[in-house]
Amino acid sequence: MRSFAILLRKEEMALFSSPIAYAVMTVFLLIMGYSFTLTLFISHQPSMVQVFFQMFVLFMLTTPLITMRLLAEERKLRTMEVLLTSPVSEVAIVLAKYVASMSLIVVMLLLSSCYAATLAWFGDPDFGPIYSGYLGLLLFGSALVGTGLLASALTANQVIAALISLSVFLLLWIIDNFGWLLPSPADTLVVNLSLAVHFRPFAVGSIYLSDVGFFLSATLLTLLLTARALARR
Amino acid sequence: MSSLVLAQHVTKWYGPRRAVSDVSFAIGQGEIVGLLGPNGSGKSTIFRMLTGYLVPTSGRMEVAGHDVVADSLAVRRVISYVPEDAPLYDHMRVGEFLHFMASLKGSRGAAAKAAVEAAAERLDLTCVMSLLTAKLSRGFRQRVSIAQALLGNPKVLVLDEPTSGLDPHQVIAVRDLIQSLAGSHTVLIASHILSEIEKVASRVMILLDGTLLTADALQERAEETLLRLAAAASEATVRDIVSAVAGVRDVTVEPSAASGTMHYLIRAEPRVAVAADVVAALVEAGVGVSELAEVRPDLERIFLDLTRRASRMAA
Repeated sequence: MRSFAILLRKEEMALFSSPIAYAVMTVFLLIMGYSFTLTLFISHQPSMVQVFFQMFVLFMLTTPLITMRLLAEERKLRTMEVLLTSPVSEVAIVLAKYVASMSLIVVMLLLSSCYAATLAWFGDPDFGPIYSGYLGLLLFGSALVGTGLLASALTANQVIAALISLSVFLLLWIIDNFGWLLPSPADTLVVNLSLAVHFRPFAVGSIYLSDVGFFLSATLLTLLLTARALARR
Repeated sequence: MSSLVLAQHVTKWYGPRRAVSDVSFAIGQGEIVGLLGPNGSGKSTIFRMLTGYLVPTSGRMEVAGHDVVADSLAVRRVISYVPEDAPLYDHMRVGEFLHFMASLKGSRGAAAKAAVEAAAERLDLTCVMSLLTAKLSRGFRQRVSIAQALLGNPKVLVLDEPTSGLDPHQVIAVRDLIQSLAGSHTVLIASHILSEIEKVASRVMILLDGTLLTADALQERAEETLLRLAAAASEATVRDIVSAVAGVRDVTVEPSAASGTMHYLIRAEPRVAVAADVVAALVEAGVGVSELAEVRPDLERIFLDLTRRASRMAA
């Protein structure tokens, strides 16, 4: 636990001293600000459903930028040798990197809460779908970070790590479109791998345990595989 | 002396390439052991396996009674590693990095601060503590890397090319530091610079193409008498005469600039006085001897002999 706290502090320092974190946050806020304003002026509805779907896409595009360096950089600069020959477990290393990356996701979500605050200030929005949307984004972001971390463990090249993550995210985003074409029961299986299928209910105000379980399972599985990839050297 | 570090039939494959082949050795408490070999001979791979960074393909390694694979965390608590090229976190300042490493190794609060200050003092780093590690020269990076290894008072120190990139003054300082650790720490040093190893190690292992040629080259040196001979006769004549002397193992020709006089190296059984017999045999055969001196075989010669012998056997 103590080594986890020390590693987490180091990861937070590395993340927030890097320009990537600020570039990602800036791009995210600029695009979301524009998108929120436009949606609000066109629809005149105090709803964040469209904003959540746009955040869903933006998360898929920006998370690889956050996660690509996590382990690939350590491997390339060979600081991995320093880290993995110190008395710390692989699990602590992986968890520290995961939690640090999640903290950036949380900061982005917190900053975006000004849109909900704006709606509450000028109108009377239904907060149920807003809460569920944020919960969905948090769980979705968690699964993305886990996957990005795993991709970063597989290569010393950050660009390749980002490309692997991005490819997986985009594939799992649209996989339900192909899934419907398959015969039963393969269609159910493939459709249920879709990120969009599991995120959609959250965005519109419905929380299903199956969707929560999907994102949590994806997170746990990818973190486990990352720790395993570090241990098998 | 009980073994603190033990390797038994360790082999490591990187895909289709065998980096380390059936290596076995034992190192006792307080020893300073050099691992010598050309680049790519498997020195770093052995160190990485010993420190838990890599897993051996087969064989067994132990540090302080703990298996490096099954009980890797316990091994990492008693061992410290200075990797080649001193990798450091570039976003950290020297002081931050040393504190981070001290904390990882279990030191807290005032104890961590004191340990960092002592290590910085020992490696002469106090003037760069507030600098980013990315801004350091190669020599300073190397010293920061050695300083982090000293934190946590490890039983075993593993140093991969610790003096590379250092200027002569720093090389001497690091050498003195390593020598000061003898007895209290077990130190393993890898290098391809023979003179460097010879000055600090009490035992030298020689590695070639992943195979351990000898676990104690210095002992081999002690077990041999070497004579340098200058004689004015053909190579075949001198060989025939000298080889017939009791106690002589072999005769090799040394390159010589002087015309007419050939220089030879005579390798003889340890502690056997063959010089007088060699001179007598040559004089009796009418060969003029202009020089005969006993020489101390240096590590370089042993290394070259062993690697040549290994290459011949492989061929």
